[in-house]
Amino acid sequence: MNNNFKYKKHISTSVLMVSIFMLSIFATSCEFDLPEANSIPDATPPSAAFSETIGADYLTYTFGNFSASATDYLWDFGDGSTSTEFEPEHAYTAQASDETEAGTTYTITLTVKDKLNVESSLSKDLVIKKPAKPIVPVPVIGEPGFEDLTLPDGTGDGRDSWRCSFGEIMQITSSPVTFGKQAAKFPSDGSRVAYQEVAVTKNADYVLTYWYTIKTTPVGSVTVSVLAGSIGSLAEAADATIISSTGNDQSDDSVYVQVDVPFNSGDNSIISLLITNEGAECRVDEFSIAVAE
Amino acid sequence: MKQIKFLIILLLGVFVSSCSDFLSPEPISAISTDNYYKNDIEIETGILNMYNGIQGLNSTDTDDNHAIQVEYLLTEVYCDNGKTKSSEGEQAQFEEFKVSPSNGYVSDYYGSFYNVIYRSNLVLENLGNASDANKASYEAEAKFVRGYAYFNLVRLFGDVPLVDKIIQPLDTETQFTRVAEDQIYELIISDLTTAVNGLGAGTYGRASKATAQAILAKVYLTLGEYTLAKELLVDAMASGYSLEPNFKDVFYNEGNKEVMFAIVYDGDTSNDSQNFSAEWQNAVGRSTGLNYVTDEAAAAMLAMGGNRTAYTYRVDPKNLNLNQVAKYIPNGDTALGIEPTSINPVLAGNDWIVLRYADVLLMYVEATMGTADATSDITAVNAFNLVRSRANMPTVNSITKQELLDERRVEFAFENQRFFDLKRFGVAQQVLSQYSADNGYGFTATDLLLPIPQLEIGLSKGVLKQNPGY
Repeated sequence: MNNNFKYKKHISTSVLMVSIFMLSIFATSCEFDLPEANSIPDATPPSAAFSETIGADYLTYTFGNFSASATDYLWDFGDGSTSTEFEPEHAYTAQASDETEAGTTYTITLTVKDKLNVESSLSKDLVIKKPAKPIVPVPVIGEPGFEDLTLPDGTGDGRDSWRCSFGEIMQITSSPVTFGKQAAKFPSDGSRVAYQEVAVTKNADYVLTYWYTIKTTPVGSVTVSVLAGSIGSLAEAADATIISSTGNDQSDDSVYVQVDVPFNSGDNSIISLLITNEGAECRVDEFSIAVAE
Repeated sequence: MKQIKFLIILLLGVFVSSCSDFLSPEPISAISTDNYYKNDIEIETGILNMYNGIQGLNSTDTDDNHAIQVEYLLTEVYCDNGKTKSSEGEQAQFEEFKVSPSNGYVSDYYGSFYNVIYRSNLVLENLGNASDANKASYEAEAKFVRGYAYFNLVRLFGDVPLVDKIIQPLDTETQFTRVAEDQIYELIISDLTTAVNGLGAGTYGRASKATAQAILAKVYLTLGEYTLAKELLVDAMASGYSLEPNFKDVFYNEGNKEVMFAIVYDGDTSNDSQNFSAEWQNAVGRSTGLNYVTDEAAAAMLAMGGNRTAYTYRVDPKNLNLNQVAKYIPNGDTALGIEPTSINPVLAGNDWIVLRYADVLLMYVEATMGTADATSDITAVNAFNLVRSRANMPTVNSITKQELLDERRVEFAFENQRFFDLKRFGVAQQVLSQYSADNGYGFTATDLLLPIPQLEIGLSKGVLKQNPGY
C-alpha cells in the first residue's frame, strides 16, 4: 500500500516535469512566430505571364507559361473550363459567333500562387474567329468572245485586247462561231498569235474555259498557254508556262470543242494567255475564267 | 650640398624630357592594337581573324572559345533531332530542355560570338587606314560577319546587348544592357545590306555577295518579310551555284559548287582543325556519343530522306541500337566510301557548312508561299523538285507548309537548322512539347530562348537580366 502510493507520487511528479518542459518549448517557440526586426518582405513575389499560340485548327490553342516565382497555376479559359497544368492545351467548342465579323471573345485568366499563398493573375482577351475563305474575284478577260465593240468603253474590233509586240494579231472569222457573231481565226502557216495579260489573285485555283475547232486537213493543232506574269517575246513563253493545252480534234471543222484548263496562279498577280497554232487553220472562241470551288 | 642640388636638377631634367615618348615607346618586338591595322595587309589579317573566331579553338579547355564547334548543342540537341548517348553532364541539359544558366556551353557560345563581334568591330574601327580601293569590301565583309553573329545570338537569346563599336572594360552599360530584338534586327539588316552591296564573288570559306543575300533573306523570312526575301533569293539563285548531283559529295567533296559559305577546317593542324566530328562518334573523341540521332529523326529520314538517309546517319558500330551522324565522319567509313579527313580524328578536317544552295532553293519556296499554307507556284514547285529529285524522291505539283518543313528537316538534318526552322514556322512550341512529352523531357514555352549565361549576369552586377523561366 505504502509502496503503491509512492509510485503514484512518482508518476505525478514526472507528468508535471514533462508538462513544464513542453510548456517551455511552446512558450519559447511562440516568440519565433512574431516578426523580428530583421525580417524582410519577399522581394520576388509571384507574377503571372503567358502567351497563346494557335494550334492545328482555329479552335485549339497551346499556352506558354512565362510566370515567375510561382508554384501553383490555375488557368481559366473563359468558356467555363479550367486547368492546373503548367502549360495546357485547350480546344474551344465551335460557336455560331465564330463566323461573325467580331468573332467570339474569351477572357483567359492565369492565376499563379506561391507557397505563401501570395497570388498574381493576368487576364487577356482571346478572339476566336473562323478563318474566312478568302474571296477571290473572277478575273476579267478583254474581248473574250472576239466580238466587235465589247471593250468597256464600247469600242474595239474584237482583237484589241489580244495584241502584242512580238507577233502579228490573229484574224477574225464570222463563221463558224460558238456564241455571238465572231471568233478568232489562225491561218494554217502558224504566223499569227493572240496574247493578253489578265489580273488574278495569287495562289488561287481557277478554271480557264475556251472552245476551238480545226480544219480537217492537213494535220494541225491549236495551243492555249497560261503563263506566269507577262512575257516580252515568244522565246520566253516556255519558261513561264504554268500550264498549256493543245487541242488536235480535227473530226469536224464546223463543230467547236470545249476545253477546261484548271490552273493555280501561284505567286503571280498577273498571268498571260497565249494562243498559237500550227499545221492547219484553227478557230478559237468564247474564253472565260472561273474561280475553282 | 651643391652637388646634391646639381643632381636634383639633373634628375628633374631627365623626368621632364622623358614625358614625351621615352616612357611610352612603340613596342618593336610585339604587335599591339595601337600600332597594328595600319595598312591593307594588316587589315586583311583582321578579316581572317573574324573567321578564325567563328571557327573556334579545337581544345578541351572549358575556358577557350569553341564558337561554332559547340553550336550543335544549342540547336540540334536542343530540338527533336539530336540527343546524347549517355544522357549525362551539361550536354544532356540540352537534350532534356533543362538548360541551367550556369551551363558552360551556353556561356562558351555566347562569349565566342561576342568575341567574333569584337573582331568585326576591330576591322570596322580601323577602316580609315585601308586603301580607297579596298575600304568598301573590307567594310562589307566585317559587317557580314557581325550581322551573321548577331542573327545567331538574337535567335537563341532574344534581346541581347548591342555592341557596334570597340568598347572599354568599364563600359558596363553597353556590355550588359539588353536591347530589344527589333533594334538588334535593325542592325543585322543594315549590316547585311551593306554586305550585299559591297561584296563580290568570294571563295566558299569567306563571305560572298550571294551568301550575304541568302542570309539576309533568312533574316527577312524570320521577320515575315516574304517579298523582300524573295527578291534577294532570286538574285542569289542567279549567282552560279548549283546542287551537287550526289548528296554524299556535298559533305565529302569540299569546296563543291553547292557550298556557298563554310567554316573551313584543316585536318591534323592544332590551330585549324575541329573536334566535334570525333565527339559525335563512339569513343573516338574525348567526349563521346554527342549529337546522336533521335528515334524521331531516324524515322523521318527513313520515311522522307530518300538517298540522303545513308549519308545522314549510320548505325553506331560499337552500339548497334544507336545511330550516329554520318555527314562529318572524321576517320572514314569504307562501307560508305568515305575517306578520313585527318590521321588523328580528334584533329578533324571536315568543314562546317553554314549555307548551301539547297537552302536557297527551299528558302525560295518559303518566300513564295509567304503566309499561305500551300503553294503550287510553278517556280517554287520547280525549286522544290530540284531538291527532291537529287534525293531520289518523287516530285510534287504543290507544296504545303508541313511538307516544306519536313523537307528541310531531312535535307538539313544535323546542320543546325531544325531549331530555327521550327521557330520560324511558328510550330516550335507545338512540336517540341509533343516530343518532350513522348520522351519524358522538360520542355516549356520559355525554353524557346536559352538562358543568358550566369557568368555574364554575375559580371554585370545586376544590370543584365535573365530570360523568363530560368
